Amino acid sequence: MTDDLQILESLKDPSTRELAFRHLVSKYKERLYWHIRKMVLNHDDADDVLQNTLIKVWNGIDTFRAESSIFTWLYRIATNESITFLNQRKRRMMPGLNDVNEYLLENLESDTYFDGDEWQLLLQKAIATLPDKQRLVFNMKYLEEIKYEDMSAILETSVGALKASYHHAVKKVEEYVKTHEPGIGS
Amino acid sequence: MYDEENIEPEFLKRQKKNPFRTPDHYFDSIEDRVMGAIEHEAKNKTTSKSGKIFQLLKPVLGLAASFAIVYLLAYYPIKYFSPSSLVKSGITDSSSFENMDAYALNFSLFDENSLFNTILRDETSALSEIKSDELLAYLSTDMNDLEIYSEIQN
Repeated sequence: MTDDLQILESLKDPSTRELAFRHLVSKYKERLYWHIRKMVLNHDDADDVLQNTLIKVWNGIDTFRAESSIFTWLYRIATNESITFLNQRKRRMMPGLNDVNEYLLENLESDTYFDGDEWQLLLQKAIATLPDKQRLVFNMKYLEEIKYEDMSAILETSVGALKASYHHAVKKVEEYVKTHEPGIGS
Repeated sequence: MYDEENIEPEFLKRQKKNPFRTPDHYFDSIEDRVMGAIEHEAKNKTTSKSGKIFQLLKPVLGLAASFAIVYLLAYYPIKYFSPSSLVKSGITDSSSFENMDAYALNFSLFDENSLFNTILRDETSALSEIKSDELLAYLSTDMNDLEIYSEIQN
């Protein structure tokens, strides 16, 4: 946290901005990448979204008021960029694909950087069928193990609403797993 | 209400493993790539600013160019292909254009009476040059036109 404050002070100073930004990227790049990757699934898409996210961060340094932590701010931008990216894809959807979930499934199966086994593939497919908000909450809670309080700050949603979203998401994933692979889900 | 301990099914308690991976050394160069993209974006913004100025001035420049072309198309044919007398009189000379307003002003003041007086004045002065003796001699001779012509030729 102290380190974040020092980075923030250096970011506000034009003479040290680039160096501080490199430090910031170095510190958070992997966490941001995996957060984005679990939303868009495909590596190339995640790379594009991460780059857009970091450019937005650079352009928004002057407007950041430190009302929230840098971590929260970065995650919020990354989340918004991921959802914007998926919505853009939805608008440019190839004929034959009904919604963004089908796009995600196609993305998952065509991704050469997916090394999961049968169970992991099934779990990712189940997650991909969730609505955007539930998928986001499920990923952040289950896969990234982020606390509800932090999620609440990032997504600007109450803890109660997040718990409800997670509950619905888990039920849907469980149902999907049981339907598609009864032996695995039990 | 949504106590996660109670709702988490057994299968989600399995050991978690990240099934995704990245290309080798992917994270090593992110800082440089992002800084490169930021510089590229900044350059594009600068270029698009000058482009915007040109876009704003484009209609005005287009209009000015059209006037220039029309002026050249009208001026040079008049200057080079009009009768030489017009050129000599200075009507097509660019310097004479400045005097055209003065001509127009004079012409507006030049009414029919003044024109008639001017013509009569010229004729009166021509007649006054003929002596009365010559006139009487001319009237007293009973010559026809052919004889007068022969007289003049001789």
